[in-house]
Amino acid sequence: MLIAEPLQKAIDELSKLPSIGNKTAQRLALHILKSESQTVDALVKSLIELKEKIRFCEVCFNIATEEKCEICTSPKRNRSLMCVVEDASDVIAIEKTNEYNGLYHVLGGVLNPLAGVMIDSLKIRELLLRLQGNDVKEIILALNPNSEGDATSVYLMNTLKNLNIKVSRIARGLPIGGDLEFADSATIGRAFIGRISIQ
Amino acid sequence: MVLRQIELQNFRLHKNTSLNFSDKLNLIVGGNGQGKTSILEAIYYLCTTKNLNLANESDVILFGEQYFDAKGIFSDLTENQTRIFFDIIKNKKNFFLDEKPIFNSSSIIGKFPIVTLIQSDHAITQGAPSERRRFIDSVISQASHTYLEMLLEFNKTLRQRSSLLLQIKESKNINLFSQLEAWTETLITTGTEIIKHRIRFVKEFNLYLHEAYNHIIESAEEPLIVYDSLAEDEEENAAERFREELASMREDELRRGINLVGPHRDDFIFSINGLELKRFGSQGQHKTFQIALRFGQFFLMEEKLGKTPIFLMDDVFGELDTYRAGKISEYLSLIGQAFITMTDLTKTEGLKINAENKLIKVSNGTAAYA
Ligand SMILES: [Zn+2]
Repeated sequence: MLIAEPLQKAIDELSKLPSIGNKTAQRLALHILKSESQTVDALVKSLIELKEKIRFCEVCFNIATEEKCEICTSPKRNRSLMCVVEDASDVIAIEKTNEYNGLYHVLGGVLNPLAGVMIDSLKIRELLLRLQGNDVKEIILALNPNSEGDATSVYLMNTLKNLNIKVSRIARGLPIGGDLEFADSATIGRAFIGRISIQ
Repeated sequence: MVLRQIELQNFRLHKNTSLNFSDKLNLIVGGNGQGKTSILEAIYYLCTTKNLNLANESDVILFGEQYFDAKGIFSDLTENQTRIFFDIIKNKKNFFLDEKPIFNSSSIIGKFPIVTLIQSDHAITQGAPSERRRFIDSVISQASHTYLEMLLEFNKTLRQRSSLLLQIKESKNINLFSQLEAWTETLITTGTEIIKHRIRFVKEFNLYLHEAYNHIIESAEEPLIVYDSLAEDEEENAAERFREELASMREDELRRGINLVGPHRDDFIFSINGLELKRFGSQGQHKTFQIALRFGQFFLMEEKLGKTPIFLMDDVFGELDTYRAGKISEYLSLIGQAFITMTDLTKTEGLKINAENKLIKVSNGTAAYA
């Protein structure tokens, strides 16, 4: 079957996006084709603006519209707390909880020797530089609970050990806001194994 | 839990086969290559989403057809249907539970528990340590989803760490040592949990094994499994021992670029009356041990899951002497629903073939009640 070239091109581009398969890409492309010109213009413009106006904060590597992100420049944030996360989507997830009011540091990944992601590929040197001469008293490591996240947390704990800063790690276990009865048994099992002594 | 009925389409030799089962014994009789084992294969798919003998799905399709489809109806407290559909063009296996697609096979673990006694079980007692690890890991995983997840994660950590060891070996870059330390720590954390689970499991499983073994053979033979790990049965010291062992093997690991220490290298030593089965066991003792492992697994899972598993036995009767065949027949009457294939009905005098049970004859992909 021959597909008009501009349509095929759009399908190919769309299917490069994460979790978009070929079928979905085709449906999206056809949907766009049938839409009003101004709707399509607005979509295209928003994507261009996204790329032109959004950049990475030069301090914490979160997404930003200026050199520094809104969190880094906010006078309301607690500057003695810093949360280290894998990428910007984790910042969004934690911000949504409204439970955290400190600063962030986005590593841009986790250690993954199989995929060639090593210490120099992450913003770890930047983190160490950032910690020199500022007020951070506690660092919270909030990396994803898998082997890569765990190894990266261990590496950071070893590296930060001598800085005289308290380092903590979020408990592995129940998802935030999760009810025990709805969590799967593996998650509950892990939460028991990773239980924290409170006395 | 029992499997009430199945429907097979283009499944191996079965073009269209529908069967209702007894909730006790189901004897499936037929010559070799007639399609009796494929009925067990289908049952195993419907319980686990997986192939019984690790065959490729495309090999299961009836020659010249484009797909296979199998459906099963289970009844427990509620009635559930599972279905497996494989399409050769998409090369995709689809599994459904009550018509809803299941994407992650581990999410149905424990829902339709099944125990299998098949020909390849001989490798558990006679083969390499990896065979015994696979058996033990699969039994623990069926009762503990947590264990399965940790095992998958441990294997991931092993792959990451060996990739790093290899990179260190090739680049001689000592700056990578600090990262290696982090992977080592992660390996110890997950690996220690695996060792602890295995220690606890073997202690408990030995009781079930003892019970099962003595059901099959009335003698003073005492079977035992000893977990041969770096922790030597001491849960408390497992992490410390792991760390020490890694330290002593560090040079070797760096030189060879592979993981040399951890539960992925453990073995389980099977013995009878203190004599190692692998070295001193007779053929009969091996067979009895293999059967006892599966019956032990059956009663352990029943206890842990609070559900009676389905029992599959493929072509085992033919190999047994009359004494063991009789004993196993007696034992089978104690369990719930069982599916047993055999080429003929010799040695089955002990199996009470009555109205409660079903005798199914299979010939060239066609099944009929006899
Ligand atoms: Zn920032």
